[in-house]
Amino acid sequence: MTRTVIALAILVGLGGIKLPIERNLAALHRQEHFRGVEFNLDLREKLGQLGFVAALSGFRAIVADALFIQAHVAWERTEWGRILLLFRHITTLQPRVLLFWDTAAWHMAWNASVAAMNDQTQRLALRVKAQREYFALGKDFLERGIKNNPDRPQLYEALARLYKEKYKDHQRASEFYAKAALLPDAAKFDRRFSAYELSYCEGREREAYELLRGLYDEGEQERLPTLIGRLKFLEDKLAVPQDQRIPDTRPIGR
Amino acid sequence: MTDSPRRSPTEAGPAVAVHGLTKVFRVPLHPSRGIVAVKELNLRIEAGEVFGLLGPNGSGKSTTLKIILGLVSPTRGRTEIFGRDSRLVESREAVGFLPENPYFYKYLSGEETLRFFGRLCGLRGAPLKKQINELLDLVGLTKARKRRLGTYSKGMLQRIGLAQALIHNPRLVVLDEPTAGVDPAGSREIRDLILDLKSRGITVLLSSHLLAQAQEICDRVGILSDGVLVREGRLQELIAIENQTELVIADASTHLVNEIESVINRSKAKLIECRKSTTTLERLFLEATAKNDEARASDDQGIAKQKP
Amino acid sequence: MTKGNDLTFQPFNDSTTGKLHRAFSFSRVLAITSNTLTELTRLRVFYVLLVFGLLLIGSSVFMAQFSFQQEFQILKDVSLGAISIFTSLLAIVATARLLPQDIEDRTVYTILAKPVPRFEYVLGKIAGVLLLLAISTLVMSAAFLAVLYLREQTVIQTTLKQLAGAPADQVNEALKLIRSSAFNIDIFPGIIIIYLKACLLAALTLFVSTFATTNIFTIVVMAFIYFIGHLEATAREYWLQEHSSGLLTRIFLAIIALLFPDLQAFNLVDDIVAGTAISMAVFAKTALLGIFYTTIYTLLAAFIFYGREL
Repeated sequence: MTRTVIALAILVGLGGIKLPIERNLAALHRQEHFRGVEFNLDLREKLGQLGFVAALSGFRAIVADALFIQAHVAWERTEWGRILLLFRHITTLQPRVLLFWDTAAWHMAWNASVAAMNDQTQRLALRVKAQREYFALGKDFLERGIKNNPDRPQLYEALARLYKEKYKDHQRASEFYAKAALLPDAAKFDRRFSAYELSYCEGREREAYELLRGLYDEGEQERLPTLIGRLKFLEDKLAVPQDQRIPDTRPIGR
Repeated sequence: MTDSPRRSPTEAGPAVAVHGLTKVFRVPLHPSRGIVAVKELNLRIEAGEVFGLLGPNGSGKSTTLKIILGLVSPTRGRTEIFGRDSRLVESREAVGFLPENPYFYKYLSGEETLRFFGRLCGLRGAPLKKQINELLDLVGLTKARKRRLGTYSKGMLQRIGLAQALIHNPRLVVLDEPTAGVDPAGSREIRDLILDLKSRGITVLLSSHLLAQAQEICDRVGILSDGVLVREGRLQELIAIENQTELVIADASTHLVNEIESVINRSKAKLIECRKSTTTLERLFLEATAKNDEARASDDQGIAKQKP
Repeated sequence: MTKGNDLTFQPFNDSTTGKLHRAFSFSRVLAITSNTLTELTRLRVFYVLLVFGLLLIGSSVFMAQFSFQQEFQILKDVSLGAISIFTSLLAIVATARLLPQDIEDRTVYTILAKPVPRFEYVLGKIAGVLLLLAISTLVMSAAFLAVLYLREQTVIQTTLKQLAGAPADQVNEALKLIRSSAFNIDIFPGIIIIYLKACLLAALTLFVSTFATTNIFTIVVMAFIYFIGHLEATAREYWLQEHSSGLLTRIFLAIIALLFPDLQAFNLVDDIVAGTAISMAVFAKTALLGIFYTTIYTLLAAFIFYGREL
């Protein structure tokens, strides 16, 4: 009996030693993008008891996957509100899974927004408003996704696409393609796309031209039809001297 | 393999020495109360003898044996094996133990069990193999060596238990109720084994409440009652009835018996009893069942021969 | 019973006393370890858990209705979750009965009556469990990787058919995407961390079983510890940062933080599957923490066992 008491006392004493070690480890984990999930009452409310316990016990990935499957079903039923709610939970549980942020944004900004726009039961003004709200929700998902995954390019690229296609904001699109290009594993076309988007911005033509010309000079792999087309367009617009222009190869379309 | 000379008992001190041993089992949460299992026990067991620790259930026999083996620690006092304190692990290099109702690992075969315990004692490879073969032969389990212990009878379990106790050639063997629950034939075999051990100079310390069997094999005994040693000494001396003499005569005629009776009546002595010698019920039983086994064995052989 | 060749049994002779008693003998520990392993592999619950685990891994094949990225994600999450829960469960259930069973069967007497120090006995027992857990982890991991590989190959074949005639670098890009979604080298350190978590739980169960009165008690206590251990990180942060809670709450949180291990530290696999790379520093430190805990609990178990009346 006394030995048990002594052993427990030793454990508590050792607890004093292991505590700072664990704290440091936890900090290291968070720094390296592990354990980004807080297990607090808020989460408990969102997930319900069973989900919370499962998530707590190291199965949050499976809980997230289960919710994801439910979101898939909700999508088939076009239950946009439910999709939004589910993806809020899913991204809370698994902030490091890019797929979830991306899919959430896609459902909001691409699917729900179109559905809202096509909803003939509403007046046009309301439809536009709903569309804008869905754009904002999609943007929000991607922004939060980027905050949780600042080291990976995919969500920057997705946000750039959203600005380009939905907001028609070429400046922002260019910005985000440029940010993505700086990260490891970036898509090969990020720098090109950043330059393309910049070329559509009023007053930034010279900048865009420098970028595109730089890319062109890098070699054959960058000399794609679109690049050549944009380059030629800018050469004309900026009245670049003939001897500095690229060879006059007719691009296919513009 | 040659027979090594038997060690003379007076060499190298006693096999087991118990000095002022007291053991109190504490009741949890009541530190003042306790169960006194053994009280102020002093014992000395010489090398080469068979010592019987006798007493009713709950008299402290098992506890004493466990303390000698270092499995339980004493509250007061000290025990030693061949001069080494029981609480040291190395004191057990010279001891083999067969506990009461041992189970062993049911899924192991007889051979595997001995190999396991041999390895625990530091034996390996060819010497271990040899030892296993010899011991299985000694206890008569060579035929059953590959069978799982779960299929063994009680007598067989006791015998394999004895074999594992001997695996590392101990000088002292401690047996806790070696024949409890074993049938007469098995019990006879175990007792024969014990006498065999004695003939090789191995000290045997056993506890039993089967007094008739203990009487047959022990040199010295100690009787425990409620943790106190109430009697101790050489068996023959203890049970001899001082003032009575027994004569066992073969082929005595009635005339001779009457003559002896009258001689006794003329002296100061008194004739208490005159009767036919008896064999024991055990011997009768063994003889009868052995005959039966033989008859059945030859029947089986006959049937085997008849089968095409 | 034969008596004819009784003289071949060698009674005590000098060569046996000449052998020095070794304070620590690896071969003694090894004997107990392999015996424990044999004993545990005969446990029916071991096979039930293993089959269950394998079934779970195999069942995640039926996720083909999703895109391959989603399918691989779910396959990896479910398989690694299965490995995690089954090694944890096995660790607790197998270890809980080890010492009590030996004591009840009295086999512990025959073992400790040999020149075997109690520490080696405890060490041999826990080593047997850790070996069992390692084997289980390997088997389940092999099954998981086999299923993952098969699904990856199927998706590749389908994709190749779909992209027949497409330019080479487009095909390569597609294949690269499939391969990177499927197999991730960081899964291996993740699995090792899962294994170390199970080792920790086994050692902790051994410790609890040394002073527990029944098997059920041990298992209930371990279930409780498992749950609290996952909350320890939260309790720790609240205790060390919150200044507004009452004294009683702070004491309560302090006890949890000091006494219980932080089990969340070993749940790295979710983020690894999500694509987070695990650096050497993170892996080494986490692994060391697991080994530290396992060692401490084993030593404490031996400490208590030394004083145990048999």
